[in-house]
Amino acid sequence: MEVALEDNNLMENVLPPDEQEIDVDLEAKEKKYLRGEVANLESLKDKKLKTQLASREKLYGKSAKAAAKIEKWLLPASAGYLETDGLEKTWRIKQTDIAEEVDRSSTRNQYDIVLPDFGPYKLDFTASGRHMLAGGRKGHLALVDMMNMNLIKEIQVRETVRDVAFLHNDQFFAAAQKKYSYIYARDGTELHCLKERGPVARLRFLKNHFLLASVNKIGQLHYQDVTYGDMVASIRTGKGRTDVMEVNPYNGVVALGHSGGTVTMWKPTSQAPLVQMQCHPGPVSSVAFHPNGHLMATSGKERKVKIWDLRKFEEVQTIHGFHAKTLSFSQKGLLAAGTGSFVQVLGDSSGDYSRYMSHRMEKGYQVEKVMFRPYEDVLGIGHSMGWSSILIPGSGEPNFDSWVANPFETSKQRREKEVHLLLDKLPPETIMLDPSKIGAMRPSRRKEKPTRGEIEAEKEVAIEAAKGVELKKKTKGRNKPSKRTKKKKEMVENAKKTFPEQEHSNIAGKKRRIGEDAAAELPSSLKRFARKN
Amino acid sequence: MGGLKRKSSSNAKTLAKSKKKKGPHLPNSILKVIASQKRPLNSDEEEDDDAIDSDDEHGGDLYEYEEGVPEEESRKNNRYDRHDNYDYELPEDFEDENVESEDDVNSENDEDDDRHTRMLQSLTGMPSAAFEGESKSKPVLFTEAYPEGEFNPTRDVLEGKNVLTEEDFLAPLEGKPGYHKTSKQIARMRKDTKHVVHAPLPKPQRERLERKAVIGLVDGEFSKWVHLVKKNREAPTVYFNQDVDLGYSTVGAIASEFQPRTEFEKKMASVLNDSEVSEAHRDDGARLLELNEVSMEDHIKNRDHIAKMRSLLFRHELKSKRIKKIKSKTYHRLKNKDLKNSSLGALLDPEMAKEEAMRQEAKRVEERMTLKHKNTGKWAKRMITRGLNVKYDGTRAAIAEQLQMNANLSRKMNSMRDGSSSDESDDEEELNDGSDEDTASRLIAKAKEKTLKTMEDDGVPNAGLMSLPFMARAMKKKNEEANEEAKRALEEYEEWENSGGENSKKPVSVSGRRVFGATAKVEAPKESKKDSDNFYDSSDSDNDMAGIEDNDMEDIRDNASPAKNTNRNITETEKFDDVAGNPASKTTFDVAMFTSGSWKKMAGCKNTESKKESKKTRVPISRDQDKKGSRDEESEDSESEAEQMVDGVLTSGSKETFEIPSQAELINRAFAGDDVLDEFEKDKEEVLNLEVPKPEKPVLVPGWGNWTNIQRKIGISKRMVMEHEAEEKERKLKLKTRKDARLKHVIISEKVDKKAEKLHTTTLPFPHTSKEVFEHSMRMPIGPEFNPSTVVRELNRPEVVKKTGVIIKPVKFEEVNPNDEVDDEHPRNHQKQRPKKKTGKRQGQVKSKDESYKFLIPWE
Repeated sequence: MEVALEDNNLMENVLPPDEQEIDVDLEAKEKKYLRGEVANLESLKDKKLKTQLASREKLYGKSAKAAAKIEKWLLPASAGYLETDGLEKTWRIKQTDIAEEVDRSSTRNQYDIVLPDFGPYKLDFTASGRHMLAGGRKGHLALVDMMNMNLIKEIQVRETVRDVAFLHNDQFFAAAQKKYSYIYARDGTELHCLKERGPVARLRFLKNHFLLASVNKIGQLHYQDVTYGDMVASIRTGKGRTDVMEVNPYNGVVALGHSGGTVTMWKPTSQAPLVQMQCHPGPVSSVAFHPNGHLMATSGKERKVKIWDLRKFEEVQTIHGFHAKTLSFSQKGLLAAGTGSFVQVLGDSSGDYSRYMSHRMEKGYQVEKVMFRPYEDVLGIGHSMGWSSILIPGSGEPNFDSWVANPFETSKQRREKEVHLLLDKLPPETIMLDPSKIGAMRPSRRKEKPTRGEIEAEKEVAIEAAKGVELKKKTKGRNKPSKRTKKKKEMVENAKKTFPEQEHSNIAGKKRRIGEDAAAELPSSLKRFARKN
Repeated sequence: MGGLKRKSSSNAKTLAKSKKKKGPHLPNSILKVIASQKRPLNSDEEEDDDAIDSDDEHGGDLYEYEEGVPEEESRKNNRYDRHDNYDYELPEDFEDENVESEDDVNSENDEDDDRHTRMLQSLTGMPSAAFEGESKSKPVLFTEAYPEGEFNPTRDVLEGKNVLTEEDFLAPLEGKPGYHKTSKQIARMRKDTKHVVHAPLPKPQRERLERKAVIGLVDGEFSKWVHLVKKNREAPTVYFNQDVDLGYSTVGAIASEFQPRTEFEKKMASVLNDSEVSEAHRDDGARLLELNEVSMEDHIKNRDHIAKMRSLLFRHELKSKRIKKIKSKTYHRLKNKDLKNSSLGALLDPEMAKEEAMRQEAKRVEERMTLKHKNTGKWAKRMITRGLNVKYDGTRAAIAEQLQMNANLSRKMNSMRDGSSSDESDDEEELNDGSDEDTASRLIAKAKEKTLKTMEDDGVPNAGLMSLPFMARAMKKKNEEANEEAKRALEEYEEWENSGGENSKKPVSVSGRRVFGATAKVEAPKESKKDSDNFYDSSDSDNDMAGIEDNDMEDIRDNASPAKNTNRNITETEKFDDVAGNPASKTTFDVAMFTSGSWKKMAGCKNTESKKESKKTRVPISRDQDKKGSRDEESEDSESEAEQMVDGVLTSGSKETFEIPSQAELINRAFAGDDVLDEFEKDKEEVLNLEVPKPEKPVLVPGWGNWTNIQRKIGISKRMVMEHEAEEKERKLKLKTRKDARLKHVIISEKVDKKAEKLHTTTLPFPHTSKEVFEHSMRMPIGPEFNPSTVVRELNRPEVVKKTGVIIKPVKFEEVNPNDEVDDEHPRNHQKQRPKKKTGKRQGQVKSKDESYKFLIPWE
């Protein structure tokens, strides 16, 4: 057996540049950086545009090539893996076996924290994987620095904690408690009490949009902007109580699993679900999204785990005889599923998801939540007796981009990053199923024209608004009541004017049509006398 | 023969007549000569002669005689035929035609002429040449305007008939010395075809050839540019920053180049560069005083100058004092006029400027009304019709001046406008401040008068569109309405008038509310009236009137408002209600607006209520489920924890049954109760119905097309059924094209997110024509976060790189290889990176080599 965890060793022997040129997989990398196919320019008639686009494409190609070449240095570390020889099966390998093979620093990531008094734990990691938040059901909140295994803060809220979530960095976190949810600072001070949401069952934070999404016990979905505290949307799902909620990291769409076996996907700008999928005949027990946003895993109470392709909304794979209380995808696409005291990790090395590793905990431990730690080959497991951490080789992304998520962030960098994040914040309407369509042509609308009733209503509202406008106090002579009335009247007239009379426009159109017909009917010699509209 | 004679004689008669009137009056002597020449020719034919003689006293008419003979000879049959028809006499006033007919005859008889000469020849035995001359000369009897001469060649010469040949010139020389030589030379010349100058080609042909040649040349010249232009067009970036010479960069550089030119400068330079002065500066400066010496002459000059200035000032002062003392009105008037005429005065005195502006405005208005200067005057018209303006410079200038004046006067004048508007308001204020009651009563009277007038003149035009019966009807209706309004208005005016009288003694106290009400009251009728006016004839003058009225009205309002007591106010509101009740009147809206807020509120309430209702109708489905949820919530709050724990234990317990084969069955049995799939299908249908609504089924409503038994039997009309079918079809198509049409287990909402619409483009950006290509071209991010730094700059380079202040010169020719691809990788980097400090010579070289300015302007 051979185990390799991701190595962050930068001093790898680098090939000389001329050899690198010949690198076979350079082309594949280049393709990755080209971000899609080149458009078919031959279909263009405009020669100028054609050449311009061609030169543009050339530049893109150049850029991709350069990026592919640089990758060697920018992404030096390779992902870990688990290799077996002969008949050995990877899923038979135990954590103890792995511990013997890997270096000392990695073995530090194999541990069990036993806290039997505070009940099943929920976990959350920051984007960089440096910090972990553990929330015990009985009111225990702990913020842990995973790098040096340092307990930063531990508080007892003395009421039920249903879920915990980090906000944009380790400085703030939210906890869904018995009646309300709260936002705490890193040092445990309570910053906000979010009463509007009611008793929240699940909390998730949308990093790019700065939205804190939550679903409460009566099945209401709330989106709150944490930058200015406004409730962006509160949606009645109308599907009853649920405690299955996950965010698609690719597009920010929130998925809810319901008792009727449906999974619904939501965005804050619409009251109706974007997508409803009948995934299971029984209740949905958990949902997870692949980091690339194309795959979704659901598990139902009827002991099935299904993997869905979100581009086609079709089932890709069904894993039978397996019930997962909690599911989680790793950065590299491994799928962890926990039931009872048993955790199974599925890998997609052969195309389909199949058993990759498994881990059995002490008897009586009930797994509450599994979550892969970003940028590490580590799986965190929250269970009824505390939390555990095991090594899953090949689960984490080996290279981190310090501009995106830096586990070794200094406080200065963190502050800088915070500002950048705020500046790059996306508005809630950018949440859509296919965000790559942003900037493209607007999809054609079936119903362009508002009905007459709608127009009338709008007109009424506009007129009311115009009447309600308070006029400024002007100088003597201009402030005369007569002038004021006149002005007011004018405003109302203007408000009316913005809504053109429907019938008139219709008649005009008809007239023109008639005129055109007449022009068409005329003999060619007389056509020049036809009235030009 | 007799008939023939008659014909000829009649012909001759007409000719003679024409001759008498139009032909040249030949002197008698010439006529005699002609006659004598004729005589011998025709001496044999006495009959003819007699005929001629009998016809004409002169007896020697050339034409008559000749015409007679050929007709007789040649066209016998024709003549006879024609003769039969010859009963018709031409009218007496047919003379004008005769000239033409003569020509026609000539052309007809052209071919006959040679026959005629032959005949003459045979008769007389004389050579044909003698007759030929006659016959040729016959039709061309011209009266030249100018005497024949070197520069006025005769018609013969012009037509190339009697062209002189070399022989003609040589003939008189025959036998003279040197004749032989010349004739030989001429013969040689004739043979020599080389040096013959041919007649030039006809003009169109020549021009065609020219064009052909030019096109070839131009094509050649232009086509060599094609590659260069193409290259520049296709270049992603065009550079204009080469060879930038912005001139001096420092003040020092400018100063160093300075050359003294004027006298003063030269003097200064001489002083500055004076070695003595500079030396003195360098020393202790004591010598500077010495150098600063002023000559006596200069001193005197300076003193004189100052004295002169002082005296001038003094005189000016005196003059102004004297002018100030002058009390003559005429003088001041004239002076003011002068000032006014000069634009300076207008600038200095705002009041004057105002006045001037007013005057100008009045003039303008007048001009626009009368179009006096648009050459519509009597004089101008006359000049134009006579074309005198073309002939005489003075007239033309005068007309042009008038036009110019018109243009000046009728031009829009913004500056004047602004001033005048403020003035107006000022004036108004003044009016208000001043005699309050007086103006009020006057204005009311005026308004009254005006309304009466409008009531009176509602005559129906009896022509044009307005005369059509339905228009007339509509107009009548309108008029009635307007009259009603006017009557009401009149009543009110009277009231005001009375109240104004009362009020004159009372102290004035204005409350804003009341004013408001009054305003509404007056405004309503006025506006409607105005509308009706404009509806029928929207001429400028009418509008003006309306404007005036408007102002008046405002004044009235101001003055009348305080006069009202609450009592009247109440009655007025009642009146308003009446007016509002009348749905036909146009004023309803306005009045309703002002009567009270309650109306508005009512409407608002209704609106909100209706909205609520609509909401309610929409919600119920979801609410149902909410209820369910809330029930759930009630049942579990604190117990949930324990339950969950138990749940966990239960699941762990179920792990033992993992291997049991009947698991699937068990599960199926477990979930048999809730038919989830069916529910989902129902949900989907609901959603589809919401997003693609079902068309309404045609139903027979009692009372609508359902009166008789026959109708009942027929049932729903075919049209309705057809429509319904079409709608159904459309819906089906829509459902088919949905994304989730083939996915049974999925509902994909296709609602348009209005908020997200701003993230898409509505139209394709300009050069793009294909959506697909555009979207593909947008796929790559171009920012520095996504691209290696080596490419970022190239990706983001602007289309044109240019430094400010650089003059873009026209493109210069440069050889371009057409097969070269557009190369943006090294965009003249050698140019950009070139160190700035270079010797002029090298720079010059580079310039000559790389002077390739872009040619951006398409010429094709």
